[in-house]
Amino acid sequence: MNSPKVAVLTMEGTNNEEEAFQSWKGAGADAEIIHIKKLESGLRKLEEFDAIFFPGGFSAGDYVRAGAIMASRLRASVMEDIENFVDSGKLIMGSCNGFQVLIELGLIPNIGKNYEREAALATNLSNRFEARTVYLKITNNLCPFLKKFKINQIIRLPIAHFEGRFIPKDEDLLKEILKNNMIGLKYVDPYGKEVDYPWNPNGSIMNIAGLCSKSGNILGLMPHPERVFTKYTHSDWTRGNEEDYGQLFFKGAVEYLNEKF
Amino acid sequence: MSDFFKVIALRNLTLKGLKKISEDLALGLSIQEMARIQSYFRNLGRDPTDVELQALGQAWSEHCGYKSSKIYLKRYIFGLNSEKIYSQGDAGVVLLDENYAVALKMESHNHPSAIEPYGGASTGVGGILRDILSMGAQPVAVTDVLYFGINKYRDYPSPAFIRSGVISGIRDYGNRVGIPTVSGGIYYSDMFSPNVLVNVGCVGIVKKDKIAKQSIDKEGIKLIIAGGKTGRDGIHGVNMASANLDSGSANISTVQLGNPIIKEPLIHAVLQANEAGLIYSLKDLGGGGLSSVVGEMLYSGGKGGVVYLDKVPLKERDMLPWEIWVSESQERMLLGVEEQNVQKVLDIMNDWDITSAVIGESVKGSKLTLYYKGEIVMDLDLDFMTSPPLYQRAYRLKYNEYKFDMPKERESYNDIILKMLSDLNVASKEYAVRQYDHTVRGNTVIPPFTGIIGKEGPTDASVIRINWEDYSAISVSHGSNPFYSKIDPYMGARNAVDEAYRNLVSVNSIPLAFSDCLNSGNPERPERMGEFISMIKGLSDEAKDLGVPFVSGNVSLYNETGVKSIPSIPTILAVGKLKDYRKAITPDFKGTGNPIYLIGRPGIEFGGSLYFRIQRKNGGRVPFSDPKVLYQRSEMVLRAMDAGIILSSHDVSEGGLALAIAEMTIGSDIGAEIDLTGITVGRPDFFMFSESQSMFILEVQKGKEKEFEEYMKGLSIKLGYTGSQMLDVKFNGKTLVYLHIDQIRSKWKEGYI
Repeated sequence: MNSPKVAVLTMEGTNNEEEAFQSWKGAGADAEIIHIKKLESGLRKLEEFDAIFFPGGFSAGDYVRAGAIMASRLRASVMEDIENFVDSGKLIMGSCNGFQVLIELGLIPNIGKNYEREAALATNLSNRFEARTVYLKITNNLCPFLKKFKINQIIRLPIAHFEGRFIPKDEDLLKEILKNNMIGLKYVDPYGKEVDYPWNPNGSIMNIAGLCSKSGNILGLMPHPERVFTKYTHSDWTRGNEEDYGQLFFKGAVEYLNEKF
Repeated sequence: MSDFFKVIALRNLTLKGLKKISEDLALGLSIQEMARIQSYFRNLGRDPTDVELQALGQAWSEHCGYKSSKIYLKRYIFGLNSEKIYSQGDAGVVLLDENYAVALKMESHNHPSAIEPYGGASTGVGGILRDILSMGAQPVAVTDVLYFGINKYRDYPSPAFIRSGVISGIRDYGNRVGIPTVSGGIYYSDMFSPNVLVNVGCVGIVKKDKIAKQSIDKEGIKLIIAGGKTGRDGIHGVNMASANLDSGSANISTVQLGNPIIKEPLIHAVLQANEAGLIYSLKDLGGGGLSSVVGEMLYSGGKGGVVYLDKVPLKERDMLPWEIWVSESQERMLLGVEEQNVQKVLDIMNDWDITSAVIGESVKGSKLTLYYKGEIVMDLDLDFMTSPPLYQRAYRLKYNEYKFDMPKERESYNDIILKMLSDLNVASKEYAVRQYDHTVRGNTVIPPFTGIIGKEGPTDASVIRINWEDYSAISVSHGSNPFYSKIDPYMGARNAVDEAYRNLVSVNSIPLAFSDCLNSGNPERPERMGEFISMIKGLSDEAKDLGVPFVSGNVSLYNETGVKSIPSIPTILAVGKLKDYRKAITPDFKGTGNPIYLIGRPGIEFGGSLYFRIQRKNGGRVPFSDPKVLYQRSEMVLRAMDAGIILSSHDVSEGGLALAIAEMTIGSDIGAEIDLTGITVGRPDFFMFSESQSMFILEVQKGKEKEFEEYMKGLSIKLGYTGSQMLDVKFNGKTLVYLHIDQIRSKWKEGYI
């Protein structure tokens, strides 16, 4: 059996590609870092891959709106390939700036099914960059990236962002998100309660930290699973906490791809 | 005669005329230096061009030329424990193991940050990243130690404005470039108003056989400039950094503009070309621009060179040759490349959307010749250009009278401890540090804060793993204490080294190397110069017996405004190694009922101490560090740590052992019961708050006391046990301290969350 092939997309300003590459590799995938120039020029095709990862960072500096330039470059060049990729049931994940790109590309939530931007990841309510560990509750494990977790399981992941407050464009959209069970992860306190700042680090509506697509093959989230592949890069491992949360995202995805493709 | 350069008739000028030329062209050269230039051109039988004079102004600035400091650096620092240095260039390199080496450097960006805090601090980060990249190393950690004022001084910018600009500058650059900012410190004192100090450091990892060299010792090596385009920003930056600070913002154009989104792919591209063996020599363009970098690259290899200035990619088309030559525009690297590899290098740059161009090559001889539109605009001997006059400036050593004001003894020290915890210099720096991404790259094993999520306390050093394959890692820490240095620059320097070293030991790592960033005032004042020399001597005396080399460093003088000068303060960046990061140790207490030990014995030197500072009293002499004692204690502590019987560890610094223990409770929610009866016979407050050097507090696994005490050969003092929710200190039946952890934590975190 061949290992699933994963494209970790990069451009100037993306900066989690190395740990994302290592995490996919560590989970058994055949990962490759691909500059989006190669997609734009047609030198490389998305169809070569079984999964796409949008890493965090500050693509193109995020001087316009987080993720906007990377998304518009991809929309202008390979949007059809991306849509075909989504329809084929292959997997897409974006963390932090990658989540922002997914929103800008309209891949998530995509309630209207026409790949329009339906939501925003706005500036944190604290009005500052927040780099720390947060508690998260898994609220949906149908998405392959979350299949190795239990519903209501509480995990810890690092965050590092300035724009992470999820806002849907209207009430109806939020209802659709709920109806379709698209919320994957929520910010909670150590006891699993949905509370406000600081446990909800950005003021995200309904404490949303991560969203799955309706069909479940896309996950976008603000926290960084790729930075904590093993427990030793968690901020509190010296206190005897044993869980390797980060790798479960990638192992779940690889398992799924091995079964399906 | 063209209109893009001028010949300056200099040979027949009087000293007064020379002075006017230096001022008119903003060269920053003294009359004597100008006279030296005059005699050089008299011998050549011609007058210089403006390009030549500007090149000399750059090369001979204090910033580039180390005119006032070099003699003393050579005497005391260079060559110290140098057998442990593997390579030196824009940064210093020591070996980690048989495959990997670590590159480190700390550097000041004080003057630009005082004028334009955001740009000054962000380009400081940019510059230090390039220094590490110049060694062929992947930057893995950015660090910064900042010294801010508290009250506004005259009509200079307010410290609050400066602080907010500096912190945002570091945040926006470091976060965007994707290298974690993991370590540092922030000091507050009116010593730094308006002369803010911004010392930034960087650490990188490089395979031993891929370390880039910085010299060209062969003819026909092509010079490629890559990265940002060259503009008018940052012209005369080094001259500005070599003079006292004037009020107002007249010098703002001397501060460069940073662009991390060029830097980020530039790092990838340069490392890719270096990994492929395509780079012959590599240097970053920082202070002094092309002029200083091309000159040094060729001169150090004994070659001359030719550069075509019209080939340099520009931001503004109408730039004059001298402006191109001395511009300090950011995000640029100079690559020496063999002819057959030139196209491959240009292709890699292009793949990453990076501007690059061949601008010249190395030639036989020792002359550097510049062409612009076919005309020679500079033709100088590198020997002359790169050898500024060195000064042995007059100095005066100050003999301090040490005053000691006896503080009154108290019934309870609760208020003192709470006051210490909320002191600006001690309180949590999360308001700044949590705006820096410290987990990017996924290799941060020990971050700046650890403990229970949401309750984290401070760590002594950060730990960064080297790769995903094995368990080796490096540790990164700092040492500095401006309050000691102000009273005694010699001992202040020694204590800074002690602190940096013990911080590394505290996380269970073996110290490997230091980088020293030296800040001082105007060297033309004998008293300043005396302090400066004392500081260097202190660093040398301390590091010598620790067996650790200074592998790199930088000197920032003229941190002075009118009558106000900063003291001579070193910031030490220290790097250590861990064979197995799974054995790294953090300060937060791990369990209840475990014995707490003190390693070391508190003395009564309270000069510069927090205990005396918060009571506005003089504390006499500053603490004294003995490197032999530090080394011996560290060896014993590391052995016990390796045996796995140490659960947590914290060095004793500001506020003494009482504050160290208070900090250990913060991230753990576990208190401490301490009884000093029989341990000290003197004043218990002196025992609790002494900042004697080379001390550690350790939490030892219960039941392992005997084993531990054997490791320590009787040099450990058992203070009490972990437990409860209180910090409880008793002495002769009296309760001196009784504070709940929540009180301790909320005081320490005041202002954050």
